[in-house]
Order: sequence, then C-alpha cells, then structure tokens
Amino acid sequence: MQNIGIEQISLAVGFILLLIGIWGMLSQKNILKIIVSFTIFETGLNVILVVIGYIRNKTAPILDTTELQTNTAEKIVDPIPQALVLTSIVIGLGVTALLLVYALKMHKEKKSLLINDYKDTKW
Amino acid sequence: MVDPIYIVAVLLGISFSLGFIGKKSENIAGILSLLALGFTTLVSAQWFYNFVTADIETYHIFTTAFKPPFSINLMMGKEEALFTMMINAIGLFGGLYMFDRLKAAGKNSFIALLMLIMGLNVVVMTRDLFNLFVFLEISSIAVAGLIVLTQNTKSISAGFKFMIATGIISGLLLLGIAFIYNYAGSLNIDHILTQNLEAAKGLSIAIFFLMIAIVLEMKPFPANGWGLDVYSSAESGVSSLLSSAYATATVFVLMKLLPFAPENLQFLIAAIGIITFVFSNLMGMRQDNPNRMLGYSSISQIGLLAAVIGISSVIGEYTYFIVISILISHFLAKSGLFWIAGIVKQESIKNWSVLRSNKLLLVLFGVFIFALTGLPPFPGFFGKWELVMHLAETKNFIWIFAVLIGSFFEVVYMFRWLGYAVKNDIIIETKLKAKIHQIIPLLLFAAAAFGAGYYVSSEHPYASLINYLPLAVALGFAFIEFLPVFIKNTLAIAAMAAYFYFNYESYNELQVIFAAIFIIGGILTLIAGYAYKGKRQGFYPFALMMFAGLIGLVEATTTLEFFFAWELMTIGSYFLILRGKKSIKHALSYILFSIGGAYLILAGFGLAAIGKPDISIGILSNIELYAPWIFGLLAIGFMTKTASIGLHIWLPGAHAEAEADVSPMVSAILLKAGVFGLIMLFLAMGEQFIGNISFAYILSWVGVITALMGNMMAAFQEDAKRLLAYSSIGALGYVLFGLSLMSHLGWLTAISFSVTHFMFKALLFLAIGGVVWRLKTKDMYKMGGLIKKMPFSFISVLIGIIVLAGVPPLTGFAGKWLFFQAVVEKQWFLQGAVLFFSGIIAFLYCFRLIHSIFLGQPKDEHRNVKEAPFWILVPQYAILMVIMLFSMLPNSLLKPIGDMLMPYFPDGAITWDGQMATTALGYWNGKTVMFIVVGVFAIVFGWLVFMNRNAKKVKQFNIGYAAERPFLPETTHYAFNFFAPYKKAIGFLVAPGITNFWHRVDEGAHSVSDKFTKIYNGNAQSYLIHIVAFILVIYLISFGGF
Amino acid sequence: MLRNSLILILILGLAAIMLSIFVDYTPKEKLGPVAEHYANNGKEEVGAANLVTAVVVTYRGLDTLGEVSILFLSAAIIGFFLKIRNEEHSKNQIVIRYSEILGTGAKILVPIIILLGAYVFINGHLTPGGGFQGGAIIASAFVLMLIALPRPALNHRVLSIIESFSGLSYVIIGLLGVFLAAGFLDNQIMSLGTFGTILSAGAVPVIYILIGLKVGTELTGIIGNLKEIQNEE
Repeated sequence: MQNIGIEQISLAVGFILLLIGIWGMLSQKNILKIIVSFTIFETGLNVILVVIGYIRNKTAPILDTTELQTNTAEKIVDPIPQALVLTSIVIGLGVTALLLVYALKMHKEKKSLLINDYKDTKW
Repeated sequence: MVDPIYIVAVLLGISFSLGFIGKKSENIAGILSLLALGFTTLVSAQWFYNFVTADIETYHIFTTAFKPPFSINLMMGKEEALFTMMINAIGLFGGLYMFDRLKAAGKNSFIALLMLIMGLNVVVMTRDLFNLFVFLEISSIAVAGLIVLTQNTKSISAGFKFMIATGIISGLLLLGIAFIYNYAGSLNIDHILTQNLEAAKGLSIAIFFLMIAIVLEMKPFPANGWGLDVYSSAESGVSSLLSSAYATATVFVLMKLLPFAPENLQFLIAAIGIITFVFSNLMGMRQDNPNRMLGYSSISQIGLLAAVIGISSVIGEYTYFIVISILISHFLAKSGLFWIAGIVKQESIKNWSVLRSNKLLLVLFGVFIFALTGLPPFPGFFGKWELVMHLAETKNFIWIFAVLIGSFFEVVYMFRWLGYAVKNDIIIETKLKAKIHQIIPLLLFAAAAFGAGYYVSSEHPYASLINYLPLAVALGFAFIEFLPVFIKNTLAIAAMAAYFYFNYESYNELQVIFAAIFIIGGILTLIAGYAYKGKRQGFYPFALMMFAGLIGLVEATTTLEFFFAWELMTIGSYFLILRGKKSIKHALSYILFSIGGAYLILAGFGLAAIGKPDISIGILSNIELYAPWIFGLLAIGFMTKTASIGLHIWLPGAHAEAEADVSPMVSAILLKAGVFGLIMLFLAMGEQFIGNISFAYILSWVGVITALMGNMMAAFQEDAKRLLAYSSIGALGYVLFGLSLMSHLGWLTAISFSVTHFMFKALLFLAIGGVVWRLKTKDMYKMGGLIKKMPFSFISVLIGIIVLAGVPPLTGFAGKWLFFQAVVEKQWFLQGAVLFFSGIIAFLYCFRLIHSIFLGQPKDEHRNVKEAPFWILVPQYAILMVIMLFSMLPNSLLKPIGDMLMPYFPDGAITWDGQMATTALGYWNGKTVMFIVVGVFAIVFGWLVFMNRNAKKVKQFNIGYAAERPFLPETTHYAFNFFAPYKKAIGFLVAPGITNFWHRVDEGAHSVSDKFTKIYNGNAQSYLIHIVAFILVIYLISFGGF
Repeated sequence: MLRNSLILILILGLAAIMLSIFVDYTPKEKLGPVAEHYANNGKEEVGAANLVTAVVVTYRGLDTLGEVSILFLSAAIIGFFLKIRNEEHSKNQIVIRYSEILGTGAKILVPIIILLGAYVFINGHLTPGGGFQGGAIIASAFVLMLIALPRPALNHRVLSIIESFSGLSYVIIGLLGVFLAAGFLDNQIMSLGTFGTILSAGAVPVIYILIGLKVGTELTGIIGNLKEIQNEE
C-alpha cells in the first residue's frame, strides 16, 4: 500500500464509521442511541459512496467554465456516486425521521427508552 | 397495450393527489386508491394475458431519451407481468379487505399502501441496481408505516425491530451496490453482466453483500426474528401484504440477481433456503397464535423458493414452472388465511371453533389450507411434484428428504389448525360476521386457487392428462349443498353408477376388480345414507372426492395421475373421518400418516423416474437404479393406507368414531387403495432384495405380525366399532402376507380376500353402525340381548362373523383353504403357524361381538329400541346375497382372479371343474361344502330346539340372582373385559408400545421445535446480532476465510 | 459480558471483511464507461452545467422520483402514526418560554433563508445545490420559526396542498415526456435553451423547483408534527 492518499484515508474513515454504527446498534441499550448509531452507519456508507466517485486531481462535475466543457471526461470526478449519495442521504433522512417517531411512540407506550423493555412478541 | 410506466405514474400520481383531499373525505381517498390499484392490476393482467396467448416479445421501458446503461430502464416480460399482476392484485384486494381499517387510520394510510405496491412494481421491473435499492427502500418504509395501522405496544415495537433490521440490511445492500459500481462503472444489471469483469476480491465481496442482503430480505433462518414479530403483531391485512406482496417481490429479485452470484454462492443460497424451510416449519409446529404460525409458514415457503432458485442451474428450465406454481399457491393461500385470521380475531388456534358459525368462511379456510400444503388440485401440488422429480433426476436425495420433511411439518400444524376449526369443542358464543368487502377478496382468491391449479396443470406435459371429471363432479356437489339428503344421495349414486357403466369396459381385469370394490362398494355404502335426515352438509363433496381419488388410482396411467388420485382420496377421506365424534386427534393422525406415506410414494416415484423418458406407471417394471429403495419407499407408503403394524395407530380411532356409513367406506373400501398400490408395485417390480433377504420375506413377517396384533387388540376392545377397526388391521395383515407369498395361490387368496373383506367388513360395520345408531353407545358391555329387538342386524352380524372367521360354508372358508394351501406350497410354516393362531383369536372377538351385543340379557334402557333403520339394512342384505352367491359358486369370484393372475404367476393355478377346485394339495367343492354344512347345522339346530322344549323361562328381572349393587355396575357386566384371562396371559403383547413410540416422536419434535423458537427472544438487538452473525458465517463458508 | 464479547467478535469479523475490500481497493484513474458518457455528452444531451443535476434529474430521474416519494411517504406515515388531533392541541398546549430577541431575529431571518433556499433550487442545474438542498434550507427557516415563535401557526392543509401539487406536477411532467418527447421524465419537453443560463436544461429547473417546494413542505410538515405531538403531552 504505497501512496496512501486521501482516497484510502476517507475509505478507512467510511468503514470505521460503518463499524462504529453497527457496534452501536448492537450494543447500545438506549433507543435514541441506537438511532444515532444508525445515522453514523448511514454516514459511513455515504462517505464510502463519495470516495468511490473521487478521482485524484480532478474537479467537481460542474461545467461552469468553458475550459471544463472540452474533454470533460478527463477533468472531472465521477458525477454518478454524487447523485447516489444525494439519494442515499434523503432516504436516510426519511428512515431516521420515522425511527424517531417510533422511539417517541415507544416511549409513550412504556415510558422507557430501553430496548430491553420491548420484548412483547417472541418465540 | 398500456405502457407499464403508467403503473408507476398512476400509483404515484394518485398517492400524491391524496394530499388535496380534506380530512373528512377518507372514502374518496380510499376509492381513488382502489381504482388506481384496479387500473394497475388490469395493466399487468393485460400484459400477462398477451404473453400467454400471443407470445409477444419482452417489452423494454426506457426512461428519458437515453438507452441503458445511461438511463434507468424497466422491463416487462412474461415473468414481470405475472409478478406485477400478483403484487397489484394483492394491493387491490388487500386494500379492499382492509378498507375500513385504512379509512379509520386516515387517508395517509392509503398513501402507504399505494407506495408499497408502487415500490414493489418497480422492484420487479427495474433493470438498475441502485433503482432497485431505492424502490425496495420505499416498500420497506411503507411496510413500517402499515405495521402501525393498529397501534399497540406489540405492533410498535415490532415495527421498530423491522425498521432497524431492514436499515442494516439495506445499508449492506447499498455497500454492495456501491462497490459493484466501483468495479463495473455501471449500475445497469444487463450491462454489468455482459461486461467481462476482472475477478477481484473486492468485487466478489460486493456481490456477496448484494446477494446476502436480498437473502436477508427473504428472512432466512435464523436471522428472521424481526420478520416473525411483524407477522405476529401487525394487522392481518398488513401481514398478508408483507407475505404475499413483499415476499413475492423479493423472490423475483433473487431470480433477477442470481446471475451475479458465483456458483458456490448460489448453492449456499439454496442451502440457506432449504434450512429455512425445514426449521421454520419445525418451529411452526409449536405455535398457538395463528398470525405467528402463518408467519413461520410464510418464511418457510419463501425459503423453499430461495432454495429452488438457488439450485436453478441444476434443475434447468423447469425452475420457472416450479417457482411459479409453489409461489402462486403460497400467494393465494397465505393472503386468504391471513384475511380469515383477521376476521376471526382469535389469539389461539384452539378457539378457532368459532369459525363454524360462518360456513362460508369455514369452507374458504379449508380451501386455503389445502392450497398451502400443496395438495391437489392446487398449483403447489404440481410444483412440489416437479421439484421432487427434478431433485431425483439430479440425484439430490438429501434435498428430497429436506423438502418432504419440511412439507410434512407444515402439514402437521396446518391440519391441527384445520381440525380445531372444524371440530374443537371450545364453544365461543359469537356469530362471526364478515363484511362484504372482506368476503369478496376471499372468494376471488379461493376461486383463483382452483383456476391457477388448472392453469398450471395445463402447462405441464403430464398433468394435462389428468382426468378432472370425477373431481369436478365432487366439487359440483358443494354447490347443491342446500338440497336434502335424499336428492343428493340419489344423485351421488347415479353419478357413480353412470361413471362405472360408461368406463368399465376399458378396464383390464385387475382394474375391474378394484373399480368394483371402489365404485359398487361405494354405491352400496351410500345407500345407507338414505337413513340420514336433513341436508347432511359437508358429506357428499368429500365422499365423492374420495371415490374420485379411488377411481383415479385405478385408471392412472402415469405416476403423476396416480399420485394426484392418491392425494385426492386422502383429502376426501380425511374430511369423512373428521366428521366423526371426538375426531380431532384421529383425523390428524390419519392425515399425518397418509401424507407422510404419500411423500414416501412421491419420493419413490421420483427415484423411479430417473433416466426415464416419461413417467408412465410402466417405468416401475423397468428399474435399473435404486430398485430396493424405490420398492421400499413405495411399499411403506402404501402400507400406511393398509395400516400395517407400526403404521396402524391412526386406524382404530378414525374408523371407530366415524358415522354409521362412513366406517364401512373407510374400512372396507379405502384400505383397499393401499392393497391396490401394493399389487401394482409387486406386479411391476417383482421380488426385490436388500442384500440376500427378499423384501417379500420381510413383508410376509410384517403381514403376519399385523394379523396377529390386529386380532389380539381386537379381542380386548370394549368398543364394538373399535373391535371391527382392529380386526381390519388384522385382515389387511392377511392380505399383505398373501401378496408377499409371490405365488399364484398367495395372490389368489390376497385378492379374493380383499373382495371378501370388503363384503364382510362393510356388512359388519353397517350392522354395528345400525345398532349404535339406535343405542347411542358403542360400548359392548352396555348392550346385550338385542337379538329380539334387532333380528335383521343379528343375522347380518352372524353371517359377517362366519365369513370373517373363515369357517365353512361361507366364502371366508374358501379364503382360508386357499391360504393354507399357499403357505404349505411356499413352506413358510412358521408364519403359517402364527397366522393360524391369529385366526383362532379372530374366533374370540367374533364370539364376543355377537355374544355381548345380541345374546345375554337385554338392558333395561334398551327395552324400547327398534330395529336399525331400513336404509342401513338394505345394503347389508344386498351384500349378504352376494356373499351367498360367492359361497355357492366360488369360481365366479376365484376364476376371473385366477385368469387375471395367469400372465404373472402361471404355476400352481387352481384347476376348476364346475364348482370343484383342485390344487396340488387337494380339492374343494363350494356347493358340496355348503350343502353338507347347512345339513349338519339344520340337524344340530333341530336337536337343540327339541332338547330345549322343557327349559324353564325366567323373567329378566327376576331378583333371585340379585345381590349388592356394585359401584360401577357396567364393570360387572359379563361382557366387560370379556377375555380377562387371556388378557392376563398375553396382554403384555398388546401394550401400546407402538402408539407410545409415535407419541414420543411427536413430543420430541415439538420439544425440539420449542427449543429453536427460544432464539427469538423478542429483543431487537438480538435480532441484529443474528443478522450480523448470519452474514459473517455465510461469508466464511462462501469465501473459506476472510 | 458474553454478549459483549460476542458483539466484539462480530464487529471484528465485519472489520476483517471491510479490510479485504479496503486492501483490494485501488483509487480510480479515470471515469467508468457510463460516467464518461455523461461527461462527454451531458452538455448536449441534457444541457445542465451541473452534471450531478443532469444525472439526478434526468439520467437517473426515476431514482429521484423514488427519492421524493420516500420523503413524501415518511411524512405521510408520520402524519397518521402521530395522529395529530388538530382540535385538541390548542387547549393542552404547554407554553414554552420565549425570548423576544430570538423571536424578532427569527422574523427577520426567515424570509432571507427562504430566499436563499429558493435561489439554491432555482439554480440547481447551474451551481452546486438543487431541489433537495434548497428544500432543506427552506425547511430550516420554518424550523427556526417553530422553535423561536411562541405560537407558530403551521397550516398543515396548505402544506399538504403544496406538497401534493408539486408531487403531482412532477409526475405529470414525467408523463409529458412520454407524450411530447422520448420517454418518461425526459427533460426535452421544453427547449434546452442556452447552456449555462437560468433557462436551460429543458424541464430540469422546473422539476427542481417542484422538488424544492415538495422537500421544503415535507420536512416542515415532519418537524411540525413532531413539535405538535410534543406540545400535546
């Protein structure tokens, strides 16, 4: 692994966030902390998506100068993962909002935010 | 045709416009939503119709002006059309079913429904990976919303578990997609697959994440607790959407993405699927809550489909047929069952007896249970058949075992449930009322189940040969249930007589003999049905279904037809048995043994078809591979029906508790189906050996022990009908032994004894049934002295036991005579001796039967009983006449059978001279014997009457013999524990060892089931741990390390 | 304890898998086939200077429609999940402490923030940003209002009508693509205009305006709902 560059560092950060998120979801007992862990997990994914689109020494895919409008393919980073990341963020937002409402409702039911208190259906 | 993009546009457009509608107009919102779903259902139905009829080409839908891979495209092929049609239909009818629930929750719940269906439509049609992710996410969010349609602690926490679990799963899906993009530079499925990508570790891990996420969406064992909790706590209508719409779409996604997976991952997916199938069904057995039970069943069915898809490279082109037929059955039946569960609203299946208050729902419930368990004529039957055939063809025997054992577990809990609904005595005083918008979807889905069965079978090269006429007639009777018994009975008899009349000429001798037992015997027993008053609902469709199955066995030319008929007969007879008193337990054990046996037969047929060009019955006579296995499987399968020892425990209860005319049907007629199967098997396969031991030799001992034990147990019964039932077990032991002799005489005995047994057992069961009809008890010690009250029944029983015991002059003697000839010829003296001994025991119970019922002192409470009903006596006397005929003219029965056997066993035949039969060992003349015996009898009888003229008559209640009144008066009756001394001597032999054995099997399975369900501890985080651990384990297996 | 070590083992296992991906990852040197096509032809085909916008709204337009649906769906579910009782909540409302300075500041800021949001989504096809970003900015203005003002009057009816209007229009524009141009969601139902100006890229700006409105109202609705349920208690 010669030349460790910004890509590898960001990718590592992405994976680490992902793992922290999963760890938090598996071990935190507080429902709100679980939800926060979930958003960390999502963030890790989004970082990874951005890394995948990144190409070193290239610029953003916005053709606002005439210089960029010729031979564009050699000058810009990949626009697709950026579009995907947008979608992924929005989906994450929707899911997180719904999760929070779930947490609110669960708290209303039992006045507890501990995940261990919600084992009503089993076996 | 309407462009499929309108499916997406209309669903989205309508759900967006629901926002315009004010708070008070939920009705408008609902109707608009249903209209939109109706439109989309029609669109995909139209496409499917055109694909089927006009064979049009796959249609590609391009978004924007660009072609893939530069823009997202959708595809509408035959499969997509079918799957979207199913999804839209469940959306439409599920929405209709839940209409008032959704309305109460507000217009936003309609949005969730529309979005769910829209999302799944795109999931099925899209050819873009990321697009798939987005719309799968829409669907799962919509599900998370629908779960809280009813808000309580259970549903809310289940919804939370669902969201957290799907959150991780879809995150990993996205991770996989992201890295696939990294390596392939594209998101279009077809584009990626057509590129020759360099093999890279990262790419294969990405594909692993993609596939494992889809597999996790299908809720594999054991990482599926989150799914189960949703099934058991969400509204039934929502569960049906999850099970039928969401799961259907994931099945399609797996089919679509499978080409990504390397071969070892495909097999791994298949293994996960089959393990899920077996274990979910195992755990389903201990469930009490109907919704959770259906959840286990859903998961298992989807697991089976994942397994089939995973091994599609092995199965080949038939994968689609198998997947579709199993899926359609699951889809229709599971929705229907969830919907019914939503109407019944009972938390425990034991309380489902409440379903009886609504006959229509009860019928629909039965239809769905049968469709789900893969019984004919529903599509799952053909799917399972084809699956086993292909697994056998490719020699995946462990797979066959897994498929069949899993299916069997499912049968266990589904039929227990059905039994509770039909017969449980928990009475709940509510009248179930289903609203019309709930009934319409149920009716349509039930009708669709039949339609789909017909469609699937018409697509199958052999299934299309099945003769549906008898079944159609039987089902037709379901529509004339409102008519009185008299008319229905006449129609049934006419239908059977007409069928026999028009078809018997095309049968060969063997077929004629069994067709006669089945059909003419059936007609005779049906005559007794005239004794019933009222409508007798739920009898005729099933009785005729049983006879349809029996005649189908006789007529079958392919193994598929045979198996179809076998299952049909099982269904019909199951319901007949279930009609009896306290029948839940017996009917359940009957159906379990029958279906277990049927699965063995299926496996046997599967093995037999290996390497064969077709599946005609004839292939059995031309087996090169696994012959002993095939023989063993089929023989054991058939012996579940003949109730041979070890497989007999279902019989006594089932036969004894049945109605007066059902007992002879199931005892005298139905058991012969097993005999027919065995005969077919022996004729086709001849003698088979395991090592040096002949199967026939083993079967001879099975037959002998069955005869001995059956007769012994019969002798110790207090219940008259149970006595007869055990005696049937014994009699079938004789038949089995006769067949196992593999000689002309042995077979002649076995077949003629089958006919004779039909006659005397029908006679006895009818006669005793008539007695029970009047006395309302089956216990012999509560009877006595009925000879004067019921003389006609007495004569029937007398003749019956004379035939049974095989004493001269009646036709039973012919059987015995031939029998010992055959034994001597074969020189199986030890078996012969045991059989002789068991024949003596038969005398014991025969004596007991006639003595304790008709002789001795009449009971006080029976002073006013009348003779058995006329219509129950009519068939008895018809049979009596035939018995007399055969006894006088034995060659009228024996000669045709002998002629029939000539091609198979030319040696050792009887030579006939008039009514004089000669064998190598001696001769016998039926007419002469008859005259001699009647003559002797007349002399002895006259002598007795003469001697008796001085006897002093004592009044019955002469207190000269009275003593202290005992605590339990009936136990002092002479007929109670009639053979106490014998019981003391040999009773240990009949200790219920075998019954205990099966009980232990049952308990063992349930406790294993119980252990496994404990992994689902209800904690969201445990479920997450299951998911992560599952991924890790599968990863390690798949890559063999990190 | 046992459970925690199990979790640790699982995380280490996952980490090992991630490490394999990481080791195998090589930074990209050039664009993949599809991205290259977009880079070279995006200008002519879509006419949006912001290529990400071109991908989001046109090339992968169906994804974006799905994305909008997700937000809409979440908002709808939250709506019926919380079952806001409009009539009651005015009675039980808890009076939240309110600062005069914050309130006045908010009143001044809100229009400016909304303006910024509008700018971001109107120029989505030219500069960084777009409908989602602009919508989120607009929603933040309303969030500020909800937090800062004592009795914020959120009219859910108006919100939901704007939401429905923009969503429906989006679908209709998509369908116009089928009738007037080459396919569903084709942006060339309008002329592509001059590259780099406000009126370029065909229907892209229109779509982004609709998305901006929709996202803004949906997010506002979600936050508003959550706020009101809190007040009820």
